[in-house]
Amino acid sequence: MADGQRYYLLRHREVPDIDQIAVYEAHEGYSALRRALKEFTPQAVVDLVKASGLRGRGGAGFPTGMKWGFLPNDGRPRYLVVNSDEAEPGTFKDRELIEHNPHQLIEGMVISAYAIGSHEAYIYCRGEFLHGAEQLRRAIREAYARGYLGENILDSGYSLDIHLYRGAGAYICGEESALLESLEGKRGQPRLKPPFPAVAGLYGQPTIVNNVETIANVPMLILHGAEWYRSMGTEKSPGLKIMSVSGHVRRPGNYEVPLATPLRTLIETYAGGVEPGQLKAIIPGGSSVPLLTPDQIDTPLDYESMMAAGTMLGSGGCIVMNDRTCMVAAAARLVKFYRVESCGKCTPCREGTYWMANVLERLEAGAGTDRDLELLLDLADNIGGKCLCPLGDASLGFMVSAIRHFRDEFEAHVREHGCPLGANRYDTVNH
Amino acid sequence: MKPHWQTWAEELKQEFPRAHSALLPLLHRIQTEEGWLSPETLADVATLLDLPVTTVESVASFYTLFYKRPVGRRVIHVCVGLPCALKGADALMHRLEAHLGIRQGQTTPDGAVSLFEAECLAACDLAPVAQVNLRYRGPVPPEAFEALLKEDE
Amino acid sequence: MIVDAAAKIGIEVPIYCYHPALGPLGACRMCLVQVEKMPKLVTGCTTPVAEGMVVHTRGPAVDKGRQGILEFLLINHPLDCPVCDKGGECFLQDYTFRYGPPAGRFSESKLERAKDAPISDFILIDQERCVLCQRCVRFLGEYAGEPQLMLKGRGVETVVAPADDRPVTSPFSGNVIDLCPVGALTSAAYRFKARPWNQVRYPSVCPHCPVGCPVTVTAREEHVMRVEGRPIPDRDWGWLCDRGRFGYDFAVHPSRLLTARLEGRPVPEAAALRQVARWLGEVRDRYGAGAVGFVVGGQHTVEDAYHLRRFAETLVGPGVQLAISQRVRGYLPPWLHGTYDDLEAADAVILIGADPYRAVPVLHLKLRQHWRRKPALPRWGVGVRPLGRETLPLRDLVVRPQAMAATLAWALQRAAKDHPAARAVAAGLGAWEPEDPAAAEALGHVLVASERPLLVWDGHDPEVETVLRALASVRGDRPTPVLPGFGPENARGFEWAGFPGGYEALRRLLEQAASGAIRFLAVWGADLMREVPDAGLVEAALARVEYAVFEGLFPPQGGERFGVWLPGAAWAEEAGTWSTLEGRLSPVAEAVAPPGDARPVRSILAGLARALKRPWTPEAWDPMVGTEAGLLPRPQRPEAEDLPSIAAPPPWRLAGDQLYVVAEADVFAQGAPSEILAPRRPAFWGRVHPETWAAFGSGPSGGRLTLEREGRRWTVSVGPDPTVPRGLLFLPIGVAEAPVYQIGEGPVTVAQPLEVRGG
Ligand SMILES: Cc1cc2nc3c(=O)[nH]c(=O)nc-3n(C[C@H](O)[C@H](O)[C@H](O)COP(=O)(O)O)c2cc1C
Ligand code: SF4
Ligand code: FES
Repeated sequence: MADGQRYYLLRHREVPDIDQIAVYEAHEGYSALRRALKEFTPQAVVDLVKASGLRGRGGAGFPTGMKWGFLPNDGRPRYLVVNSDEAEPGTFKDRELIEHNPHQLIEGMVISAYAIGSHEAYIYCRGEFLHGAEQLRRAIREAYARGYLGENILDSGYSLDIHLYRGAGAYICGEESALLESLEGKRGQPRLKPPFPAVAGLYGQPTIVNNVETIANVPMLILHGAEWYRSMGTEKSPGLKIMSVSGHVRRPGNYEVPLATPLRTLIETYAGGVEPGQLKAIIPGGSSVPLLTPDQIDTPLDYESMMAAGTMLGSGGCIVMNDRTCMVAAAARLVKFYRVESCGKCTPCREGTYWMANVLERLEAGAGTDRDLELLLDLADNIGGKCLCPLGDASLGFMVSAIRHFRDEFEAHVREHGCPLGANRYDTVNH
Repeated sequence: MKPHWQTWAEELKQEFPRAHSALLPLLHRIQTEEGWLSPETLADVATLLDLPVTTVESVASFYTLFYKRPVGRRVIHVCVGLPCALKGADALMHRLEAHLGIRQGQTTPDGAVSLFEAECLAACDLAPVAQVNLRYRGPVPPEAFEALLKEDE
Repeated sequence: MIVDAAAKIGIEVPIYCYHPALGPLGACRMCLVQVEKMPKLVTGCTTPVAEGMVVHTRGPAVDKGRQGILEFLLINHPLDCPVCDKGGECFLQDYTFRYGPPAGRFSESKLERAKDAPISDFILIDQERCVLCQRCVRFLGEYAGEPQLMLKGRGVETVVAPADDRPVTSPFSGNVIDLCPVGALTSAAYRFKARPWNQVRYPSVCPHCPVGCPVTVTAREEHVMRVEGRPIPDRDWGWLCDRGRFGYDFAVHPSRLLTARLEGRPVPEAAALRQVARWLGEVRDRYGAGAVGFVVGGQHTVEDAYHLRRFAETLVGPGVQLAISQRVRGYLPPWLHGTYDDLEAADAVILIGADPYRAVPVLHLKLRQHWRRKPALPRWGVGVRPLGRETLPLRDLVVRPQAMAATLAWALQRAAKDHPAARAVAAGLGAWEPEDPAAAEALGHVLVASERPLLVWDGHDPEVETVLRALASVRGDRPTPVLPGFGPENARGFEWAGFPGGYEALRRLLEQAASGAIRFLAVWGADLMREVPDAGLVEAALARVEYAVFEGLFPPQGGERFGVWLPGAAWAEEAGTWSTLEGRLSPVAEAVAPPGDARPVRSILAGLARALKRPWTPEAWDPMVGTEAGLLPRPQRPEAEDLPSIAAPPPWRLAGDQLYVVAEADVFAQGAPSEILAPRRPAFWGRVHPETWAAFGSGPSGGRLTLEREGRRWTVSVGPDPTVPRGLLFLPIGVAEAPVYQIGEGPVTVAQPLEVRGG
């Protein structure tokens, strides 16, 4: 672990059993809530979040305070929905947060719901997160018992109920409108936008959807203030971010870093460096973003620098690949993910991911042709920007960048009828 | 239809502003008890929630964790996402397939084990990772595949 | 939306999933267009037009995007156009020709799925051809409210399917065939019968119920191949019910009358006509034209009726008795006749006895859309059984048989105490009160206070007409439009042609026949014994007249009473005009020639004239003249009328071994026979409450009951139906096997010992 590392969101690593409410309370737990309810008007919380510059941690990095400001003021009930559907390959921060420190999320939810004037909040928890759901369920029960939830919270006159809702295996339910459909008990297929959830969300009512990590940030904003938060990161990307590091590194795991920390520090210092072998490529922000090459390893981890480097910070899922990694196989695997997870509603994503996955598998198996690379790029062009929701586009980022940076490797697969690296064939695909 | 399903359905209908929301939780609860969701069960759920059968079947068919066929007592999901694949997930899967004598997606004839591919399980730090009845197990190096067939430590 | 705006100015934007009646979905992405100042292509079906917007529907980016989508749709689409029924009228085929990719680049194997799997008695699905536009799923689920199709699975594995073991049974199921832009949903009856390019399409009107939906008849080599909905821009989406869509095979039904008969023996048509002429001449010459009666009904056009009247007036002479066959006793005065625009604008909907779902199905669809758009408006159903359904929720006011008019009169009087018309109709009620006075009062308030109510009436209780007149009078200048949910089909057209409307005219004619004043009776198209509410009167009339002549498609009930049968031309075998539920005239085409010796009325009359040795040239008449784009004129509301008062209904009495018979219209039970529709014929003609069934019958699903009245016995099949109130027995109108009007409405005794066989 890097020297001088202080934990905020990942505080459970310092405080054993912080998932128990007594322990959580003994470590300043729910003091932010107390303060918020006593010293802040709802608007003041919104203003604080705006001032902090906190950006959504679910992937798109949309400024949270601004999103909250989109709620129409028309007296309809409002909902807060926390997106805990984390399923983007390479991303596993929300799981750690809910499994190990569920009260932090709940405290953040109460403050956020208070801020936006919601009296009913939902956590949409990925179906596979059985343990996480159990932890949340218990923590919610404890919070009710201590008066942090329910009627007249801490004698403030403010009331809130939180419901835990389990998904059942569908990545697309991380997309906010599909999530809302699922939360309404339907197939998780994205809705047309506009209207956006802030205007017509859950049950048609104004709804704010935020990521687990986003909401988990809120208590510390109350305790330490916007200025403190802004003292980390950059003007446009202030604060702390949890980066999930996986793949070929010595210490895979979640690391909480100030934004704008160089990618190199994350990989070499925190994650212990590449092992085995040498660095070949990095996916910095989850499977939906283009890769970075070793020469870009000094790029700062913030939204704007990543954009400038041709990729995105996304959800912070950093997948490190060593020089033994076959880029064709990696692309095939990722595109297959999207093929399996496409909801099937719109044509280009449904058919396009299927086709691309087929071509990539054929290439990988050594049965590719000269025309396949152009075909893939053209299919990507026919998918890109033409889908109903961002999933279709998300399936392209890695593949297109892999072809761009490692074209010769793709061509070698055609030429040599197989993988020049002799890499493992991923034949679990398509049984 | 079991009598207590009625109670569950009523409870869940109360919990949400719209009863339709009760569908996923009720399917979860009943599947936990039944092991899987037969067409008859889905029809029962439709009755319980006053929803069209098509809605219930359609919804159940969308989500991979709702089993539309009987599964084994031990359901193993091996993550085959890219980060796990980088760490040998495929080899793990093959070892399991060879040992169990089934392909992924199948259940052993004795009904003991079902083996499924999972897309990224959001536990890439534990790669290669698997879930046994939705409990995480990892890292499971391919050669240690038998750990997935043993009872929880 | 951009696509609609483009269509209005004649620019095609290709679409699959979008249908203006279903609203935007944005799933197929076929409608990509370029809007200036927008970074990406947008879907024209989901983007509303805005002032100053510049849209390009062609151009390199749009064309490439479209090609891409088409290519995607084709990769898992089979190459079976040559054997596909949709070939030649398939959006996928058309768009591929127009915008498609030059050559296939997909070299993988296509996914295999169900082919030619039946999803209902009439419809086959080919999942491989499906483009997942969801139109069928959304139509049935949202539009019709009968979600019997669904998306199953996810991603590229998604298919359209019915639920496990539950075929599609919606009476609107056939519309998915029209809606399917490709060959995924096809008609089983039409399968491999014909190709679009070797058949001809004719505009027409469905003849099977009073709605008169616009249809297209396709024919090939003198055979009707199929019937499709015919959308009329801004007026009708072209939905049909399955009765209309699949019932076209009646014309080739084995029981169709193809030769003329004289006293039961087949004879050449000319011989039959000579005989008719002799009888007609004899009666006319001896007793005058007043001893001749003509009744029209069945599938006759407005022009047929006109020629019949003119023939009667000129060749027989003034004073011929004319009437239209009727299936109910009620009559709706034309000045109260409403339109679909009235429904559109309605701020309250009241069904009086009518269950459109059974009787006039496409009106049910229209009422349902009105409900979906404006769910909060007051909606009432007043009937002898609840009329509300899941697909059309109503506030139900259930009344005893015979209490309908009294209840309405009472309600009206409550809501408009001081109005003389209300007082007049309620004067005879005395101290009588409806069973649920509070509900009746609330209904009365809606009837009187709403600005633009829309009523639908089943015509069952004739006295309701009086209440409607009173209501209109109470409402004064505010409209009181009523849609008649009862037949016969084309009734307003027959009136327009000069036949007197209403049951009274028919009753008078039949009574004159029964009394011997009418000696020659010609019945054109109608099956009186089956359809006329007072079968006893019909029987008496037919027994008394000297000469009875029948013209029609199928042997009539009590056919032996008719000395001559003349085979008539059916709908689609003769061009003409037809009137619809809203009293609008619409052309029907001649798509095929009548089979055998069947002739259109026109030529029968010409033959008759020849046999009478009288010149007769049917005069040209354009029924459209005098209408407003086909809409028949509505007379003014009469000035203050003297309205009779409604009597209090007799007390409800039913002995323990009795059932109360009620006649009800049901399009799947009544009308011309169809073998295609055989699977949809109700399993049991009669419906009783399950408890009533348990008391009289045995077996859970139904069986047969013998009914007895005044020494006569009938055995009918009966099954339980929870929507039927206890003690009532509903029988469909117009079914030979359950001749409700011969049995007669009202109490009947269930014969002992019970002759019951479980079903
Ligand atoms: C295909 C897809 C999957 C997504 N998955 C997730 C997810 O698992 N968790 C998440 O928080 N956001 C996910 N998002 C982003 C959400 O749509 C939404 O933007 C986010 O929850 C908003 O929260 P934030 O503003 O706090 O980031 C996904 C988006 C797409 C298009
Ligand atoms: S891009 Fe289309 S098919 Fe893909 S997940 Fe989004 S809506 Fe579904
Ligand atoms: S018609 Fe526009 S997306 Fe289908």
